[in-house]
Amino acid sequence: MARVSVIIATRNRCALLPRAVESARHAGAEVEIVVVDDASDDGTREVCEAWLDVRYIRARRRLGPGGARNVGIVAGTSEYVSFLDDDDVRLPGSLDAQVGLLEARPDSGMVYGRVLYGDEECRPGDGFYPERCPQGDIFRELLSWNFIPCPSVVFRRSCLRRVGLLDEEAFGLEDWDLWVRIAELYPVLAVEEAVAVWRRPSPESGQFTSRPERMHRVARRLHAEKWLRLPRPAALGGGERRRLNAAFAERAAGQLVAEIAERFKAGRPRDSVRVARALFGMYPVRASRKVAAVAVRWWLKTARQVSRTNEPGGGKAVP
Amino acid sequence: MAKVSLIIPTFNRPHLLPRAVESAHGAGEGVEVIVVDDGSVDETARVCRTLPGIRYVRLDRNQGVAGARNVGLLESTGDYVAFLDDDDLRLPDSLARQVALLESAPEAGLVASAVLLADENCVPNGEVAAPRAKSGDVFWQVLELNLFLLPDSVLVRKSCFFEVGLFNRRLAGIDDWDMWARIAELRPFVIDERPVSIYRSPSPTSGQGSSHLARHLHAAFKHQARLLKLPRAQAAPEQRRRAVRAGLRRRVSDTLSWRAAEQLPRGHVHFATSNFLTALRISPLWAARPTHLRVFWKNSAAQLRRWRGRPEAPDAG
Repeated sequence: MARVSVIIATRNRCALLPRAVESARHAGAEVEIVVVDDASDDGTREVCEAWLDVRYIRARRRLGPGGARNVGIVAGTSEYVSFLDDDDVRLPGSLDAQVGLLEARPDSGMVYGRVLYGDEECRPGDGFYPERCPQGDIFRELLSWNFIPCPSVVFRRSCLRRVGLLDEEAFGLEDWDLWVRIAELYPVLAVEEAVAVWRRPSPESGQFTSRPERMHRVARRLHAEKWLRLPRPAALGGGERRRLNAAFAERAAGQLVAEIAERFKAGRPRDSVRVARALFGMYPVRASRKVAAVAVRWWLKTARQVSRTNEPGGGKAVP
Repeated sequence: MAKVSLIIPTFNRPHLLPRAVESAHGAGEGVEVIVVDDGSVDETARVCRTLPGIRYVRLDRNQGVAGARNVGLLESTGDYVAFLDDDDLRLPDSLARQVALLESAPEAGLVASAVLLADENCVPNGEVAAPRAKSGDVFWQVLELNLFLLPDSVLVRKSCFFEVGLFNRRLAGIDDWDMWARIAELRPFVIDERPVSIYRSPSPTSGQGSSHLARHLHAAFKHQARLLKLPRAQAAPEQRRRAVRAGLRRRVSDTLSWRAAEQLPRGHVHFATSNFLTALRISPLWAARPTHLRVFWKNSAAQLRRWRGRPEAPDAG
């Protein structure tokens, strides 16, 4: 019996799928590939039925990524589970390395790693994510931001018996929600090497998710209404909880400010205004503070320039 | 016999669980009994260790009954799946019969059978609740809540869950109905009018999840609008959809108001008020039917007689 299930949820991307499946085949010696076809209406079915080593499951109604992955988990039989998006790539041998790590530490729940940013063809570039890979009890850090790339994770199927399956309520953030619930109960391992390639243009290339504020709204709701009510944070004192809240808000506001700046630089002022409004709606205090900081910096810069131009040397004098 | 997994979600009911598990073992040979403990905070874990022949799964974080059923599905290895609530019972050899029915109809998604209604101690009171329909396509009946289906009374082909997805955790209390509707959209049902389980009927005081009748029926009424967006309902003529909507409106309002009239004289004021208010919200016309007044009147009279210490007159109905 295979040791790792690689669950690939796919919808209408039969052109990209073969690359993902091929990469999963080489990622480990004993791999069970489960493709969950989320009611595609292109040729996904024909493509998948030609492969004999792939478990093909066709959902006849649209389930969404979380629902499709849940079906894949239920259909799989292996001890370890890993997700792969239909447009991403697993690096050769990476699953075996990660499973070996999990087997060496029977108390751990999951292991993650780094991913490389790839171009349209999934050729890896220079960028990677995340910068730092904290290990052990990362529950608190994970509460404030999701630094775990979804395709890099391998977790024990038995974890789900304690924390439940993916929660479809967490639209778009199902993975983060699951990592939080696993990290609450289990130590988390990490490998510093890259294990997968994200077919995601790096932030510099000027393409980004279309509606970041939606994700942030969902995250904010999950954080307040679900994660902080888990037994471990619920047992903390008021001060500790406030600190968790503050860390989350700080991180989220910072990310939104970065999104606004990116949009502004890319020449999409209307988008940046939209995100800014969401930012002020969600984190008014932090947003004003950040805006004030930017304003002060700008004012200082201009003031310095003005004072230089007023100097006898016409501003050319450099100290 | 093909392999059957019987999933029993349980929460804080260690006194009832052993009885349910025993009945599950008697329901068919080689049944895989999976008890999913939804984060109970009492001695459920200890009781389960003493139960023979079960697979015990303990969720450390409460997931709700839909989440627990999903974890049961994750653990199951059978081709067919049945569910049993921890306070209900399966009748002997009932699973074997349902499996035979499902095997003889390879296209069908599930077998729906009848249940024996019982009181709080699981003693059958002689009433049978059966699905009244012909085997085959029952999509519209299910949408109208017109077909009697309980998690206890069905046997589902496991591959159906792959086609339509797992139970929806957001729909507390009506997640099962949502599932049967999604399966019925795609597959015919086999209807079997013989009872397969004993169902402990909820009463306003029994503390069962299903005693929140008003909340669940209201949720069902709201959720039906979403079920009517399923491709097959969308493809049907507008008139059909409207008829189904009106049918459920009538049914929900009527049931709630009737139950309110029935229970108010017995002193369940809160239950009766919430039921009646919900009924009014959904359809004022159907909430205020003369029949309900008559029920109210009859029960009040019976209650009065009881208070005066006279023997109760035999029921006219």
